[in-house]
Amino acid sequence: MLATEEHETNDHALAEPDMARAGSASLAAAALLAACGGGGGGGDAAGAGSAAVASAAPLPAAASASGLAYAYPLPASDEDAARFLLQAQFSASDADIAAVRSKGYAPWLAEQMRAPAAQTGFDWLNSRGYAVVDNTARYYDNSYPGDYMVWNQLMTSPDATRKRMALALSEFFVVSSSGIDVSWRSHAIAAWWDLLAANAFGNYRTLLEGVTLNAAMGYYLNTKGNMKENAATGRAPDENYGREVMQLFTIGLNQLNLDGTEKRDASGNKLDSYTQSDVTNIARLFTGWDFDQTQNVNTLEPIQNRTIPNTAFTRLPMRLTAANHSTLASNFLGASVAAGTDGVAALKAALDTLFNHANVGPFLGKQMIQRLVTSNPSPAYVARVAGVFNNNGAGVRGDLAAMFTAVLLDDEARGPAGLGQSGFGKLREPMVRLVQWGRTFGISSARGSWKIGDLSNPATQLGQNPLRSPSVFNFFRPGYVPPSTALSASQTPAPEFQLVNESSVGGYLNYLQGVVRSGIFVNAPDVPNNASNAANGYDITAAYTAELALVLDAAALVKRLNLLLCAGQLSAANQTLIINALNATPLTATSTDGARRDRIAAGVLLVMASADYLIQK
Amino acid sequence: MHLLQPQLHSRRAFLRRSGQLALSGTALPFALNLAAMGEAAAFDATDYKALVCVFFYGGNDYANTVVTYDDPSYNAYSTIRGGGAGQTAGGIALAKADLAATLLNPTTALAGGRQYALHPSMGGLAGLFNAGQAAVQLNVGPLVVPLTRAQYNSSDRKTYPLPPKLFSHNDQQSIWQSSSPEGSTIGWGGNIGDLALSSNSTSLFTCINVTGNAVFLSGDSALSYQVSSGGGAVAINSVKNNVYGSSAVKSAMSALVQQSRSHTLENEYNKVTARSIGAEVQVTSGLAGVTLATPFPTGNSLADQLKTVARLIGARNALGTRRQVFMVSIGGFDLHDNLIAQHPGVLGKVSDALSAFYKATVELGVANKVTAFTASDFGRTLASNGDGSDHGWGSHHLMVGGAVKGKAFYGTPPPVSVGSTAAANDQWHVGQGRLLPSTSVDQYAATLAKWFGVADSELTGILPNVGRFGVAAGRPDYPVNLGFMG
Repeated sequence: MLATEEHETNDHALAEPDMARAGSASLAAAALLAACGGGGGGGDAAGAGSAAVASAAPLPAAASASGLAYAYPLPASDEDAARFLLQAQFSASDADIAAVRSKGYAPWLAEQMRAPAAQTGFDWLNSRGYAVVDNTARYYDNSYPGDYMVWNQLMTSPDATRKRMALALSEFFVVSSSGIDVSWRSHAIAAWWDLLAANAFGNYRTLLEGVTLNAAMGYYLNTKGNMKENAATGRAPDENYGREVMQLFTIGLNQLNLDGTEKRDASGNKLDSYTQSDVTNIARLFTGWDFDQTQNVNTLEPIQNRTIPNTAFTRLPMRLTAANHSTLASNFLGASVAAGTDGVAALKAALDTLFNHANVGPFLGKQMIQRLVTSNPSPAYVARVAGVFNNNGAGVRGDLAAMFTAVLLDDEARGPAGLGQSGFGKLREPMVRLVQWGRTFGISSARGSWKIGDLSNPATQLGQNPLRSPSVFNFFRPGYVPPSTALSASQTPAPEFQLVNESSVGGYLNYLQGVVRSGIFVNAPDVPNNASNAANGYDITAAYTAELALVLDAAALVKRLNLLLCAGQLSAANQTLIINALNATPLTATSTDGARRDRIAAGVLLVMASADYLIQK
Repeated sequence: MHLLQPQLHSRRAFLRRSGQLALSGTALPFALNLAAMGEAAAFDATDYKALVCVFFYGGNDYANTVVTYDDPSYNAYSTIRGGGAGQTAGGIALAKADLAATLLNPTTALAGGRQYALHPSMGGLAGLFNAGQAAVQLNVGPLVVPLTRAQYNSSDRKTYPLPPKLFSHNDQQSIWQSSSPEGSTIGWGGNIGDLALSSNSTSLFTCINVTGNAVFLSGDSALSYQVSSGGGAVAINSVKNNVYGSSAVKSAMSALVQQSRSHTLENEYNKVTARSIGAEVQVTSGLAGVTLATPFPTGNSLADQLKTVARLIGARNALGTRRQVFMVSIGGFDLHDNLIAQHPGVLGKVSDALSAFYKATVELGVANKVTAFTASDFGRTLASNGDGSDHGWGSHHLMVGGAVKGKAFYGTPPPVSVGSTAAANDQWHVGQGRLLPSTSVDQYAATLAKWFGVADSELTGILPNVGRFGVAAGRPDYPVNLGFMG
């Protein structure tokens, strides 16, 4: 049943059921679970299931509905507004700052969450010709269009808040383009990205089901083709998804309090949240699924004499083959599913149990705070966010719009206290820095190529590329403590520092130096494939329109860069250092365009090299 | 100047940490305590030695890497893994005939007629084994104490503590490297490096990482220094050269990225940059004097990393190092699916890269001074999930180098079994052929550390976990020195 339902990941006109409906679905799901737990199982999951799969849009009043009162509803300055914008999206424009100042944080945020989703990555790929069965370019075997797709989405999508939250979610629910070795891998990663974006303000339970049945995830963590046990051959169900969905996507390794701290037994030991037996048992519930190829339209590729399907299967939820589903009973996390339960009901029981586990709110909530605001939130901050995840104020569990609102509006995120604490904030991720640069300074692709490729090389590029984590454990772990630092003595995590080493700090600066001055060099901007041709050049550039208008005044330029890039967090001493460096090369009204752009690039490079900028507070 | 917080590098600091550790209960980071002996005389040697950790990220499938070969074992393996009739390939079992060329011929045959071959793609390493330059450590993995399967299943965790977070990738990576789960900051490679700091004139180059950040090489004092697999240190253009024609911007950049900050995160970031800038000059000039003719395979990231290691070893005098610990890695081992299709590629790269690396150490005249050893998150199940295997525990590993007592197996061949009965054959796995280690990582590390120059008295005196193994603990079946180093 679930297998044949549409995910609206590619549909601009997303269904927008109201909160009450989503809430009743969740409650119904819980009730059904209780029934399953009573030994029944095999119940008809249709009612709750269909509601659960629909994308929920938020109510603008979710924040206030959560019952939390915020001490800082309005920015007191442009810097306050920029600080908020750099957490809630990728960049701060003059217009954004004015809008936040006039509307206040919560109304502005609600408006962004309510805004229609922009073009999907999947549709963008198609619009650029990447769905064509081309025997030479072989887009079906290449992942580079997927890189272009996600960079285009991050750099240009008007729904920047939705995309920022989707990027944060992509570091919690991880699929890596580098690990998708199937036909139409770029479309598969686009469908994955679109799923996260479509559900970023929906319900977590819906998203979890979408994640579980997504084709790219199915390939990445082996739910695709996962077969039931075979006593004759000794084959057991593949445990990969069963393990990682618990360790990474829902409950984590340790039992948590609401505030994200670990529960301890009487001897002070942390308590595991699951055992190997739970993994083996829940793995049975994820058997029987495979790509849905019912909408395949095949083309014979004559050179390799190979049948190429169309892209449809990459965005269809995986489909159940009942005969491949385990018939054994499953006992996990205190729940039980009876032997012989059909695959759809079994899946629902697994996901409902995980969804309703007390760990999910603090586990997800803390990591979203870490991605968007600070590496080490106070337990009280985590508890407030987790509390909203547990109940958005209208009795709904898992309302992601409400949760993200709680993350971004919390006093700890908005108040001035953090700005004065030596440990507050986080290292800005390299990929977020590049997107901020592009959006702040008017990036465009002259020919619409948007050929920003894989920037994962730490020695020569960013050392990070969206949707290209080295593994399902993301680019860095939430508990990573940088060794041999002041942080290791106090066991203080700084997750993003897992990307920082003697090679990557230089690779970033060297890459940035070329990009901020000249833009991004691409091959063949006039055609979709990436072969070199006479049109090679800097197709992707920043306009720097507003900066060119005040470039003769170095102090004014640095003031602007400080506001837009650093939310005013560049120290006075470093402002002076940079202004003096820029003034060392005097500009006059007759200076060339090149000289003016040199000054702007130097200012941008210096600001983006400063620790004041790199650590977002 | 590169020695961070030297005040921590003292006996007093050790005693303080030991006190904290004693309170924390299980899974003592044994390597942490090695750091306490940083001033130990053991490392005031005048010769050169290097350890190279080759980490297989994802958890390697031991059963298709060091493959059972004698008929009874092979047939059991084939049955469990879905092999074809007549010892042919099938399921996730390799064909016996394909293993003949990589059969390992130890000087002393294993008891019970047990035989092993390496995966068919590992011809280079099989050759090194048979020529006496490589050895195999059987069934090694993290243990807090020696365990039987019954003890593993016991509810008495006080008497029979388990390593935390078994079967979890990131935690077991961390435990292999540091004895502690994710978040750990000190690895045993780094701690061995701590001991070596005093013998190196430039301490920063004691622990060198050619792969992503990993805890293995971080000591209490020793830093893990990162070089690029592309062949050395990354120079920062905007610090070395005029920026868009401006020397003032270059100077500002140099000041900005190295300045001290009061904000902890800002300060730590700038410290890395400052270290990068300082070290790059030395590394680049040191490497410039190195010629290395040994060909390394191309299109093989592990080979790129090991070539860089070889060149850095070649520059050891210029870099002022006498003891170095390196870490390199290769991913792609988490083969829940497509084991048969994808395992040969990664194992072939390992074999080709390590073979070239060994030849390079011969060329550099340090073959007896450099020991490479493998490690991984965990072994995998012997049982099949259809076309792959799942997360396990113990695994087989390889040691390569002129100082390795090669052409030999160490440890005990585990029975080839997935059963869960009381039979003796079912006692060395904990379900589905997840091996229960019969050798601990502590023993493996201690053996390497002893060769590196750590005295017995230091090991047994300061390693709480090692103290639960070996003759002194009444467990001669778990020797502290596994004997594979000459």
